Amino acid sequence: MDNSDLDLIAGLKNEKTRDLAFNSLVKKYQERLFWHIRKIVMDHDDADDVMQNTFIKVWRSVDKFREESSLYTWLYRIATNESLTFINSNKRRSLIPMNDTSEFLMNNLASDAYFEGDKIQKRLQEAILKLPEKQRIVFNLKYFEEMKYEAMSQVLDTSVGALKASYHHAAKKVEEYLKSRD
Amino acid sequence: MDELKKIAPELSKIKKENPFRVPENYFEDFSARLHERLEAEKAGVHRNQNRIIQFLKPAIGLAAGFALIFTLSYWPLRIFTPNEQAKNLSTGNSESEMLYASWVEGIDENSFYAMLDNPNGSVNFTDDDLADFVNTNSSEYDIYSETEN
Repeated sequence: MDNSDLDLIAGLKNEKTRDLAFNSLVKKYQERLFWHIRKIVMDHDDADDVMQNTFIKVWRSVDKFREESSLYTWLYRIATNESLTFINSNKRRSLIPMNDTSEFLMNNLASDAYFEGDKIQKRLQEAILKLPEKQRIVFNLKYFEEMKYEAMSQVLDTSVGALKASYHHAAKKVEEYLKSRD
Repeated sequence: MDELKKIAPELSKIKKENPFRVPENYFEDFSARLHERLEAEKAGVHRNQNRIIQFLKPAIGLAAGFALIFTLSYWPLRIFTPNEQAKNLSTGNSESEMLYASWVEGIDENSFYAMLDNPNGSVNFTDDDLADFVNTNSSEYDIYSETEN
């Protein structure tokens, strides 16, 4: 864990400096967490809601943070869980079958006013949305964010070997989708 | 990267970029909006605490009401009827005292005087027994007027 994160944690655990430290934490991590969440929920407003929920949860549970993992992976873990909870509750509300996430997210992508990628980018996003939930998260973390498997292992609570296999399968499926639509 | 080229050559050709954007000043404004929500959250915690107090309020009010009624009724009684209170307090005699009192009270006046007239009788009274009898059956005023005569 880098020194600035250690300072942040110490600040968060002290009642007097908590507000200031929390503000610094938000400033430092908001952008990275937003893009991580955005690629899971596929809608700007939903991502905004989930990011707020994520930081509220961080605020509430900072006393429980045991420093066994780094601050950065802890935040990603909360953000991932909040995103998945959000998708599942949305699916329940919309009466969408639990295994039909990709259709629901594909609709989000189609109506996304903040998507400004070209045709190839759109096809890549569609290919990613076809992946099973966990593979999709692994692929996004590795391909776009270039997160190390060790860190990813802490975020997703999965072994490094399983994550490598998951990324390998995901990349192959994306490749097949891209080729099939050429 | 080389591994990706091997397993997904088409994918590795695509330029790695973020195709999404955010509204203008989104990240600059986010902290302020989050701060507002946090304040509401903190207020919510206080509201929950107040809710517990609200929940207990009727019970607390009822208990306080009973305490007030008890104080208001017990206090004047204690102030205005001290003898009654003293009598109530003096009822806590021991069993032996009560037996003794009933024995003294059980002696009727005639047999008492008959015994006084017959000092050689079979029943012996000590001075204390006599004093107890007088104390039980006569007031201080009677004793005073008798001794004056």
